[in-house]
Amino acid sequence: MTLGAPLAIRAVAALFVVLMIVFLLAPLVVVMAASLSAGGYLVFPPQGLSLKWYAEILADRRYQEALTTSCVIALLSTAIAVPLGTAGAIALTRFRFPGRSAAQLLFLSPLLFPTIVVAIGLLILASRLLGGSSIAVIVAGHVALAIPFVVRTVGAVLEGVDRATEEAARVMGANAWRRYSLVVLPQCKSGIMAGTLLAFLVSFDDAVLVLFLRTPSIDTLPLRIYASLEFSPDPGVAAASTILILMAAFVVLISERLLAGRHVVG
Amino acid sequence: MAGVTIKGLAKSFGKVEALKGVDLTIADGSFVALMGPSGCGKTTLLRLISGLDMATRGSVLIGDSDVSRTPPEKRNIGLMFQSYALFPHMTVKDNLAFPMKMRRSYDAAERDRRIARALDLVRLPAIGDRYPRQLSGGQQQRVAFARALIDEPSVLLLDEPLSNLDARLRDDMQMELIEIRKQAPITTILVTHDQTEGLTLADEIVVMREGRIEQAGAPRAVYADPKTAFVADFLGGANLIPVSVAPATGGGWTAAAANGQSAPAPAPPGGQGGRMTLMIRQEHLRALKPAETAEAEVQGKVEAVAYRGQTAQVAVQALGQSLRLIAPPDTAFAAGDEIRLGWSPADSRLIADGSQRG
Repeated sequence: MTLGAPLAIRAVAALFVVLMIVFLLAPLVVVMAASLSAGGYLVFPPQGLSLKWYAEILADRRYQEALTTSCVIALLSTAIAVPLGTAGAIALTRFRFPGRSAAQLLFLSPLLFPTIVVAIGLLILASRLLGGSSIAVIVAGHVALAIPFVVRTVGAVLEGVDRATEEAARVMGANAWRRYSLVVLPQCKSGIMAGTLLAFLVSFDDAVLVLFLRTPSIDTLPLRIYASLEFSPDPGVAAASTILILMAAFVVLISERLLAGRHVVG
Repeated sequence: MAGVTIKGLAKSFGKVEALKGVDLTIADGSFVALMGPSGCGKTTLLRLISGLDMATRGSVLIGDSDVSRTPPEKRNIGLMFQSYALFPHMTVKDNLAFPMKMRRSYDAAERDRRIARALDLVRLPAIGDRYPRQLSGGQQQRVAFARALIDEPSVLLLDEPLSNLDARLRDDMQMELIEIRKQAPITTILVTHDQTEGLTLADEIVVMREGRIEQAGAPRAVYADPKTAFVADFLGGANLIPVSVAPATGGGWTAAAANGQSAPAPAPPGGQGGRMTLMIRQEHLRALKPAETAEAEVQGKVEAVAYRGQTAQVAVQALGQSLRLIAPPDTAFAAGDEIRLGWSPADSRLIADGSQRG
């Protein structure tokens, strides 16, 4: 918006921005407020104020187990997605090869296609080849969902790394392994860290893929919230959701910091 | 240390032929400047010597060994980039230690000694623990130079090392470069588009044009005796006048310009008259005072006087074109004045080729 725009247009624009913010934040605010309720029903506005539902769910074994499972899956997926995504980012930004733009699209495709398609595909494959799903299959799915985020965060930082530093290292006697481990990757540290946080979050927040690929013994936090909502919709659901929201907000804030102005998520 | 021999070296990028078969011998310990306008192939030649690009044809020898198929990490070369390419995530000390660690040249104690000595050499003894972003451009430049030298490479390559510095700092650094090289006489190849830099620093200059070497030789020799109008023009300050040369009646030669004016000329190359280019450098032309005479004289009309502090640059219409000359700063005439221009034919040169500019 320029300062020279007529007052009416600026007013309309300002109103539009405010409406957008309300529209985007309203659901989050409702859930967070509901979680603070002292009453027994999931309603808005909350009845009284208390943190008792947080204590409740944190003491609930089903929530504890779901949280643990979510963390294990997220950690495993992150540990696999980050090296793969980083390698992909290096390939896409540093090398010219036939089919490079196709590869670029392929790496981003899990962002473009509905998660449900990935989930169904994996389910068919898992039943046919492995006789059913397991934690490993879910992790594989989450790796696929998380890789695009890693490719984009690492790629954005890698674009800004002076290629001459790589060549300088080469002339100074560094072989390919040392050029990447000592010169290129350390300069991408902020992108790799942001990618790690986002990869963790993608896995941690996912409900769709897990819903398709779960086995009776697998329960994750988003699934637990969903199940509770179906059977006993108390403010504990809102408390668990708030924990998810706060974690996501924290991760996005940190990665924005790390990437300082480079647009990766949008 | 070693000399560098280049034989029939050529490089194509797709359909573009950046280097079209270059032969060059660089003596052990000498300082050579590769010069020319952008796109002349000087940077390509430097990258082929470093190994960062591989030649399409021809070979590169360092000392007696053919390194044409040797990757850069095994060539033992020091290369300083235009962007300096310091590692931003490492301190100055770690930057300087890097080549020695990669090549396992020395133990840790000897590395530290060499780092201290290198920082002394570039007159930055106290900055070892700083990061590159905490240094000024001039300091970064010196660290990059120290890093290229520290492991005693057989050849030192400098890619436009001073182009990112402001004019005063550049002058200081040129003097410093000459000093440092006296202490470490490594075969050095400098790429520059700045003709003054090449003339100042190098023992030998190589002027390149469109992927070929146009002329090579000692700076004074090439400056005084350019073989082509392109070289004369590139090295700067040359008035290039198309003339037709014929034997003069009283012996010697006469050059006649397109506007009918003529003046005594030096002996033409090959001893044959005809159409060629007369080169008179602007520092050799002077505006004659009323009583003053010169071996060669023409009438001219002042077009403009540009005051430059130490000198004044004057544009004079004569010999059918606008000639430049360097005059004392207190020069009294102004645009529109009729003056006589004088020079010594021995200072002028006849150049056989017709083309004036690349």
